[in-house]
Amino acid sequence: MKLTVVEGMQSEIFVPITPNPVWSELKKPLNECRVAFITAGGIHQKTQTPYDTSGDYTYRVIPSDIPTSELMVTHGGFDNSDINKDVNAMFPLDRLRELVAEGFIGSLADEMYGFMGGGGNVDKFRTETGPEIAAKLKAQGVDIVLCTGGCGTCHRSATIVTRCCEAAGMSCCVIAALPPIAKQQGAPRITAPHVPIGSNAGEPNNPGMQTAILKDTLNFIAHEADRYGMCKVLPYEYRHNV
Amino acid sequence: MSMTTETLKANLKEPAIFCCRRRRGTVISAADLEDPSLFDDMAEAGLLTLSGDALTVEEALGATLLADCEALTPILPSIVEGTRKTEKEKSERLAPMEAGEPAGTPFAKGASGMMHIEIKSLEGLSLDLPWPGLFPSEAVAAAAPAALSAAVPSAAQGEDKTLRTLTKKYFQAADVVIGEKTSFEDGVLTLDRGLLEKALQADPLVKEIKMDVIKPADRHIYTDTIMDVCPIAAKVSGTLGEGVTHVMEGAVFMLTGVDEDGTQVHEFGSSEGYLDEKMAFGNPGCADGNDIIIRVETIIQRHTGMERRGPLAAHKCEDVIIQAARDVLKTANQAPLREEICRDVKKHGRPRVVLVKEIMGQGAMHDNILCPNEPCGVTGGQKNVDLGNVPVMLSPNEVLDGGIHALTCIGPSTKEMTRHYFREPLVRALAADEELNLLGVVFVGSPQVNDEKTFVSERLGAWMEALGAEGAIVTTEGFGNNHIDFISHIEQIGKRGIPVVGVSFCAYQGQLVVGNRYADVMIELNKDQKGFENEVAGCSEICPKDALRAVQMLKNKMMGVEIKPAPKKWSQQVVDGNNLLLGL
Repeated sequence: MKLTVVEGMQSEIFVPITPNPVWSELKKPLNECRVAFITAGGIHQKTQTPYDTSGDYTYRVIPSDIPTSELMVTHGGFDNSDINKDVNAMFPLDRLRELVAEGFIGSLADEMYGFMGGGGNVDKFRTETGPEIAAKLKAQGVDIVLCTGGCGTCHRSATIVTRCCEAAGMSCCVIAALPPIAKQQGAPRITAPHVPIGSNAGEPNNPGMQTAILKDTLNFIAHEADRYGMCKVLPYEYRHNV
Repeated sequence: MSMTTETLKANLKEPAIFCCRRRRGTVISAADLEDPSLFDDMAEAGLLTLSGDALTVEEALGATLLADCEALTPILPSIVEGTRKTEKEKSERLAPMEAGEPAGTPFAKGASGMMHIEIKSLEGLSLDLPWPGLFPSEAVAAAAPAALSAAVPSAAQGEDKTLRTLTKKYFQAADVVIGEKTSFEDGVLTLDRGLLEKALQADPLVKEIKMDVIKPADRHIYTDTIMDVCPIAAKVSGTLGEGVTHVMEGAVFMLTGVDEDGTQVHEFGSSEGYLDEKMAFGNPGCADGNDIIIRVETIIQRHTGMERRGPLAAHKCEDVIIQAARDVLKTANQAPLREEICRDVKKHGRPRVVLVKEIMGQGAMHDNILCPNEPCGVTGGQKNVDLGNVPVMLSPNEVLDGGIHALTCIGPSTKEMTRHYFREPLVRALAADEELNLLGVVFVGSPQVNDEKTFVSERLGAWMEALGAEGAIVTTEGFGNNHIDFISHIEQIGKRGIPVVGVSFCAYQGQLVVGNRYADVMIELNKDQKGFENEVAGCSEICPKDALRAVQMLKNKMMGVEIKPAPKKWSQQVVDGNNLLLGL
């Protein structure tokens, strides 16, 4: 083989670095815990300003008693049709309220937060949005933070914000459709149902699956995850034939 | 994490660092030493400071520790006894190699036609292998073991074989007008305004459609988001990739879209605004500076913009209009401006390389149409999402003959539009390169489910193995979740011992979300000053310079020439430096 070579060239793209571990142990039983759900999947109230789909590090307040019919998605990174059918597929607020009623968890944070993590500015999420959301959740006495990403860079943004919450003393888990990203970006805990991006929290209009994903994730936090970076694959599968 | 015996052998010249706390009296073995591949990350995280005085791994092995020592501490000569005496040759990590420094020549032609190999880091290894007729009279650059083994089939006798020939005849469109009857006469393309009514019938999701002609001087005009730029090309004889194709020069179609509520049909950002500011004119997928743009504006059913059916409907309707233009182009009554001959050639004796193009396949607008009936058309094509996103092989000619119609509407600046594939710079560069035998172009979709990403990537790896590829370039449009499979493709190829180069927009905003050790030779496509998706259509797609860097990097890697690792954050200077080295 004879090929012309040029010496001195340099690779132009770096491979990401997994950050330091971050860990807060859960010290209460689930039925006494205050739980918050945040999402990088572009959920917001219909009355709020939509996200800038090319990249947006702002966030939207979502009261935990809002009817889910008043929520919508603005996200450019995946097929929105599942969330259009049922917002619980990304942000399972109805299921969380049922878990409180059932006594499975203690209570919900009054305020949850939505953001659109796609193409997210890493530094802004790390130094501004993440710490701000973490402080607001901590101030509400939250013990557990659950988080869904949406697309690929959403999982990155979701993990960054989740790490901020963990660092602020809450036990957090990313429910990941793309677990390799959550892992590489340093999520403290990960559960991974077999779902497409766009229905990260389970099949739309399938409350059974959505509840099972939430319960398994909460049990994982309370009883199984005993160290940083553990990932549990959940036995729920949903295929979205787009 | 301590080293395995295998890792140890590969890292004898690296600094020796304790992986865990070790007690006085420990006789140092592989199990006591940290894996050097983690050093950069650890140093970055502040866990480790490398010292130039530390012993190398081979020096430290077998030595006895004189005092208790903490984890991640470099082993200094003063804290051990019984070190091995070795030539003081530290790894590049401690003494960075200067640009242009020779990569070394571990192989040489010995006496009696034997090849002699010497590997300095293994004591006493000296091999003589029969190698008849390998070395031609010209100087041969240093080659890595993988490259040498790959040279065996290349030495076989034989002639190049042309598999198929495509003639592209270009006809100048001096003007485009909208009139009563579609025709192409004396350089004037006339489009029947009645086509709009016909186009509307192609899909009920399209509620309104308009068409206008934008001359080069009139580009300071508001436009909705640019969904696609599509050439006018028509098959006159033969099938896709062979025979004769007529191409209109100087005029292209541009598709725009909003829904009934006025929401732009877009995904990762949109390019609505003044047209002259919203397209990277002259880039392969874009209109050229002097092109007349035929704009087709669509309004689709509300809330279908981010579902698969909405954007597809817009493309189908536009294709009805383009087809009318194709039909009159086929019988053009003027002499062609120029002819281009494209050949798929099996180049004998040259290393077999494959271009892998990852295309979007997550649904919504993340879809593409493969192998339509007409170049760059919609009708008759297969959608990669429906095919399960599995790898599909096209010949270089099939790609350059409009084998892909892009439905993709990911970030405007990084997406590859239909015209991009028609003029794909990497396909052109690899096909034209006399030193390489381009086997074909694999299109692999990026699914929306993680398990499926793994599936398509593993199938790609199996293909590459079966093809006996000796080198590969993997590209992707967009960034984010598709980088999972992009990086996995690189791994699947790299772990089979096939040199591989990755090509993507990453920069600041699109920095990789995952990585692995095979992604060590990468080409950055960013053209935005701050490294963002800047919403200018076609800005950060693959351009000719990027293609040339990628091909050269591949050749370097195939020949075992060192390529310096990327700095730990995006740097335009690295790209500029590589361009400078290539005189670009």
